[in-house]
Amino acid sequence: MITGNLKASYAADERVFDNPNKRAFFYASLLALAGMAAFANDYVILVACQMGILLIAVTGVNVVTGYTGLISLGHAAFVAVGAYTVTIFHTAFAGTIPDGMMALIAIPLAVAVSTLVGIIVGLPALRVKGLYLAVATLSANFIVIFLIEQEAFARWTGGMVGIDTPVPNLLGWQLDTKREMFVLIAALGVITLLAVQNLFRTRVGRAFIAIRDRDYSAEIMGISLLRYKLTSFAISAALCGLSGALFAYFYARILPEQFELALSLELVAAMIVGGMGRTMGPVFGVLVIVMVPEVIKSIFGVATGGVAGVAQLLAPLQEIAFGLLIVLFLLFEPLGLNHMADRALRALNRWPFAR
Amino acid sequence: MGQFLQFAINGLMSGAIYALIAVGIVSVFKATKVVNFAHGYVIMVGAYFYYTFAVLVPGMDWAPAWLASWQPAWLTAMRAELPVMSPMGPVLDWVQNLPRILFGLAGAVLANAALGLVIERTLMRPLMGQSVFAMIMITVGLISILAGAVQLVWTADADFVPHIAPNAPVRFDVGETTIFLFGADIVNMIVALLIFGAIVAMVRFTKSGVAIRATAEDQSTAYSMGISVPKVFSRAWMLAAATGAVAGAILATRNGISPSLGLFGFSVLAIVLMGGLDSYVGVFIAALAVGILEALTQWQLGGDWAEIVPYVAVLIVILIRPHGLFGQKEVERI
Amino acid sequence: MLSVSDLHLSFGGIRALQGVSFEATPGGITGVIGPNGAGKTSLFNAISGFYTPDQGRVTFEGRDITGLSPDRRAALGIARTFQNIALFRGMTVLDNIKLGGHTRLGANLWQALAYFGPARREELAFRAEIEERVIDFLEIDHIRKAPITALPYGLQKRVELGRALAMQPKVLMLDEPVAGMNREETADMARFILDVQEEFGTTILLVEHDMGLVMDICAHIVVLNFGQQIAAGTPAEVSGNDEVIEAYLGAAA
Repeated sequence: MITGNLKASYAADERVFDNPNKRAFFYASLLALAGMAAFANDYVILVACQMGILLIAVTGVNVVTGYTGLISLGHAAFVAVGAYTVTIFHTAFAGTIPDGMMALIAIPLAVAVSTLVGIIVGLPALRVKGLYLAVATLSANFIVIFLIEQEAFARWTGGMVGIDTPVPNLLGWQLDTKREMFVLIAALGVITLLAVQNLFRTRVGRAFIAIRDRDYSAEIMGISLLRYKLTSFAISAALCGLSGALFAYFYARILPEQFELALSLELVAAMIVGGMGRTMGPVFGVLVIVMVPEVIKSIFGVATGGVAGVAQLLAPLQEIAFGLLIVLFLLFEPLGLNHMADRALRALNRWPFAR
Repeated sequence: MGQFLQFAINGLMSGAIYALIAVGIVSVFKATKVVNFAHGYVIMVGAYFYYTFAVLVPGMDWAPAWLASWQPAWLTAMRAELPVMSPMGPVLDWVQNLPRILFGLAGAVLANAALGLVIERTLMRPLMGQSVFAMIMITVGLISILAGAVQLVWTADADFVPHIAPNAPVRFDVGETTIFLFGADIVNMIVALLIFGAIVAMVRFTKSGVAIRATAEDQSTAYSMGISVPKVFSRAWMLAAATGAVAGAILATRNGISPSLGLFGFSVLAIVLMGGLDSYVGVFIAALAVGILEALTQWQLGGDWAEIVPYVAVLIVILIRPHGLFGQKEVERI
Repeated sequence: MLSVSDLHLSFGGIRALQGVSFEATPGGITGVIGPNGAGKTSLFNAISGFYTPDQGRVTFEGRDITGLSPDRRAALGIARTFQNIALFRGMTVLDNIKLGGHTRLGANLWQALAYFGPARREELAFRAEIEERVIDFLEIDHIRKAPITALPYGLQKRVELGRALAMQPKVLMLDEPVAGMNREETADMARFILDVQEEFGTTILLVEHDMGLVMDICAHIVVLNFGQQIAAGTPAEVSGNDEVIEAYLGAAA
């Protein structure tokens, strides 16, 4: 039970971690991440890296869809742009730039390029109704994948068979183990979450929420709809680009089929399941979405004793599971796991008085 | 010139099928203000129902032989007298297939209508009155469910389905060039146009059509006028699913049955937005235009590039005419 | 300060405004009244910038703002409340009010992402200011962390007023601020409106149906009927005007 929750100044009231429990949670999480980097086994690290990469992308989708209310069904395109920018950069400039600098340039470059693509895609579509943005992002997804797959560009992109990815080198620190990648991914993940949280403590983030809730009222407050929608969309493209860059460095090889519509829908599912419009929502969402295939695999492994033909069923089962998650959460808990956790915590806070 | 015409006509025929797919999306939107992002997958399920009733069921041991292949005495006699390469050949083939074609179509339409009803009842009805955002996102979830379910039940293998019309080659001359068409394609186009026309007429002129338009405009007022809004919703979804089954069947006869049929839904979504979401006329023109553009792109740049034509086109249209070619700018009452 | 001249506005066949011209009394309270459908909200929407008039001009501080978008007009200092309450339901009262001050804050995207530094200083200073100027002023400190959806109608209207005040507007347009309120709530709201005018010298434009309120607090009244202006003047002049009486009560038999 929380007692003594007293604020003596506005500064104290405006803090994010405004009570000892939240502060403890934050430090404990950081400690846990550090502990994982040092002691967890390889499988856990692998899964954690996947979650981290996805988390940054889902946070991006959360900013544009959860907080600003703009439906986007093609954000995998921006992840793809980020990933391929990294590999193309390495292909083009390997040898001309010192190894230790490559990743330091490639990652911000990936973010910049995907932001640019995001602005190009978003600018026409954001002038009108939300549906147009949904279809425009969908179209962008198909077009980007199509271009990547073309033989004409295969020299740069590897075409349909994909392209090998380099090992990142940060000023001499070679991240050639998954464990080291985890450190980078975890650090960037935490920074992303904190930055997005900050966004919504200021006028920029508030403007996004205002646009979602009632856009004409936001206009009356002096918020230029086009500018802020574009900013929100650009932020989400940037975060997906960052996620893509990490994607490229993490997986040995990237293929266009990894960035198809299925990934976009996965991002949306994670956002909905976790909790739209909340900072920790993507964390919950990513935990569930990455675990679903693993859970299905183990259930099937147990139930069928490893029958060969079963492997074919895994992919469709996974798809159905994602779709069901979206549908069930929208029907029964539209605010996501985050909201469920909120309720549980609130009951806990009031214990023993909550009934 | 001749090549151009050939491709343009092919494109027109594709466009008619797109129009048929689009009419389902527009009708559901008109009635419920929800854009069904999963419509492509609904028609894909319809195609798989057609496959089931036209290929799988007749292939079963317990199915009567005439269902798989109808061979009355007169047919066998005619066939025996046929010269080789006679145009009557495909026609007789078609007659042989007729029972299973009809069985397939009937089964597909009924089964898909049932699917439409189930979707509306379980997914859309609970969200009635809530934000359009939630309803659209639920159709997005539906995409994955249908895509996965189809692969689970029917596997991802591709197969063939019987054409719904005789697939006899048809030749005619325009000026100096000869245009080659297939009978099945022509009939497909005619069927698509007829169904499209029927639905537009229904919405325009019948009582149910008026009910649909009233519900779209103002649900509560329609309700108080005695229109059963839930019934309108159900009917709209069932209609979209049923016509979608025919569209799916036609698509499957052209492209073969496989899970990739669902992707047509997205190109048609682009078409629907190009035409202006709630205008049947606009969507019809956009569908034909995209069909022709795709065919011409295939002619000049190869089949691959034709894939992304609708997506590039919709981005361009959004740029120059934000509300679609024929859509109306909504005046919001503040 | 704020004036409209010869405004014409139509939606298809409906002529919402037909040549409305008036000037809002600077630093005073001007009322706009008229039967339902007279065009009052259309007038407000035209001044806000949601509708572009077919003809005529909106002038603010000597500058023609007829072509400006709503957000640009807000940046100039024109605030407004809505008939049907346009608060942001996903936020608390405090956040809604902070949003009112959007144009007065200046943190850009990068400063916002970093938060510590200029953004934080600005936020804290702003918070202190609105606590005094708005929250204490309107006596809503006990509900400032409450979500909008939990508030009763009367308090929501007050919060909306507070949100408009956070802008420190030069012109405040109130669209039916006491609609649906009982006598006590109306008296409270009237008091707040008068306080705003006295304390901050804001020019106030008021659309209302409650004649008692209008006659009590407005220095100048404009009467609309079917999109046309049928009378203007002090409360005494307007209430004695035959045309006004006819518009509201119908012609004498």
